[in-house]
Amino acid sequence: MRDWLLQLDELLRGEATSEERLGTGLLNVSARNLAILVVVLAATYGLCMGSFSLLKEVPPELVGSSGRILQMLASMVKVPALFFLTLLVTFPSLYVFNALVGSRLRLLNLLRLLIASLAVNTSVLASLGFIVAFFSISTKSYSFVVLLNVLVFSVSGGLGLMFLLQTMHRMTAYFAGPVPTAEASTLSATALSANDPATGPTTDETVPTADATPLELDDATSADATAAAPIEDRTSNELHKVLSPLDMPEGQVFARHTRTVFRCWLVLFAMVGAQMGWVLRPFIGTPGEPFTLFRQRDSNFFSAVFSTLWNLLSGGG
Amino acid sequence: MRFALLSWSDDVLRRANWTNSPVPGSWSLAKLLACLLGCGFFYGATMGCFGGLAGAEQWPRQMLYSAVKVPLLLLVTFAISLPSFFVFNTLVGLRSDFSVALRSLFATQVGFTIVLASLAPLTLFWYASSPHYRQALLFNGVMFAAASLSSQWLLRGYYAPLVARNPRHRKLLWAWTGIYALVAIQLAWLLRPFIGSPGRPVTFVREEAWDNAYVMVLQLVWNTLFR
Repeated sequence: MRDWLLQLDELLRGEATSEERLGTGLLNVSARNLAILVVVLAATYGLCMGSFSLLKEVPPELVGSSGRILQMLASMVKVPALFFLTLLVTFPSLYVFNALVGSRLRLLNLLRLLIASLAVNTSVLASLGFIVAFFSISTKSYSFVVLLNVLVFSVSGGLGLMFLLQTMHRMTAYFAGPVPTAEASTLSATALSANDPATGPTTDETVPTADATPLELDDATSADATAAAPIEDRTSNELHKVLSPLDMPEGQVFARHTRTVFRCWLVLFAMVGAQMGWVLRPFIGTPGEPFTLFRQRDSNFFSAVFSTLWNLLSGGG
Repeated sequence: MRFALLSWSDDVLRRANWTNSPVPGSWSLAKLLACLLGCGFFYGATMGCFGGLAGAEQWPRQMLYSAVKVPLLLLVTFAISLPSFFVFNTLVGLRSDFSVALRSLFATQVGFTIVLASLAPLTLFWYASSPHYRQALLFNGVMFAAASLSSQWLLRGYYAPLVARNPRHRKLLWAWTGIYALVAIQLAWLLRPFIGSPGRPVTFVREEAWDNAYVMVLQLVWNTLFR
């Protein structure tokens, strides 16, 4: 277990996704171990979510029922299920479209990358779980807790997806070959496409794409003092020190089609995840109602969030 | 011990090296904790003596409760906010600076209580001048705001070398401030009363304590504007 946690720590610190470690073009992490950690971390967050029912007043007919404990247990199962079911629904289409546009990422490597991304996502989620548990136990407002959970899922999901994109960019370094100078980066080659349909098959592993532009994470990378220096002046060790798992390496770009596929997939993953959460509800549990494993199918995630927000802002509590 | 506490407090306010960098055998963390507990206890007791000046019964008990609650508020908020801050630091590549960042944040917390303690005489003077509970509440709010602003100054000083090393620290500082404020406001609401309303029995926390500060504010705003 300690080794697994160390592996997760390396992932969070960016060591597992450093250029040296990605030198073989493969993400050298154990998908099985990370998947187990994802389950543990997501279940921890589920426990925090389900704690809302604790210490709340319930109608007389529900006194003595084990609904609260069952809700916590159900949430501990449902949160990991939410992630893996979303992955299950979206992964096949991602792989197929990725292969269609000529990506070199093979099935297992892509799966490993996505599970690593889920590990980052659930790590952030579990770390914010303490705050969620604190508010869940101390507040009576159901609307507030729902919106807090939506916010926490959005933050952790955003960071997880940023990690995914940046790791993809780093893997580009292997497939596209070394990027010798900063100037060359403007015409840098594709990450994972050897056979871009726009340019046809190529003999080497790079496809010049004039319209390809680096994806910016934020201004933090450029603000780094070391990042201002030309890339050839820095040793790989210096680069290794500077880059966090969310940093965008200079000069690495996706092929246009691969980039489009990934962007579409990120949107798809977020939407499927949100709706999956809606289908699997309740995660929090309404204290005044008896425990149910699933609720009836009606409405959708987005209209429910909107109505909860309106309820909270209009003083409904 | 008393003078040692004053000397350590002075070191915190002047950002002495031992307050945010580990020096073996210096017991720096214990010293900081002693300052936080001492100063927090002192200001809490001052807050809670409102009932004594207003002639309420059981006011010493309220003083004791408030004295315990102020350090409790700060330490529990710090503990709840810390795990996410650790993960964010790791994710943006600042893990190597985390030890210094953590000590800087803790030293700032200590600085906050030192400033609060220094404002205690003003609070006492206010209590002596005005018997109105709501005014006492408001005055204490102003004192906490003043201490918060002052400690921001301290925090900026502590963080300056870190920000110079990596500007990303500035963003994380904002994130920390946001998370800390979010938790602290709710915890302060749960731990009320800190002053003790003269007409109500003295309790550690109120019976209706389990509620949400933000929802209460939203309801107040909504009722004021639209009802």
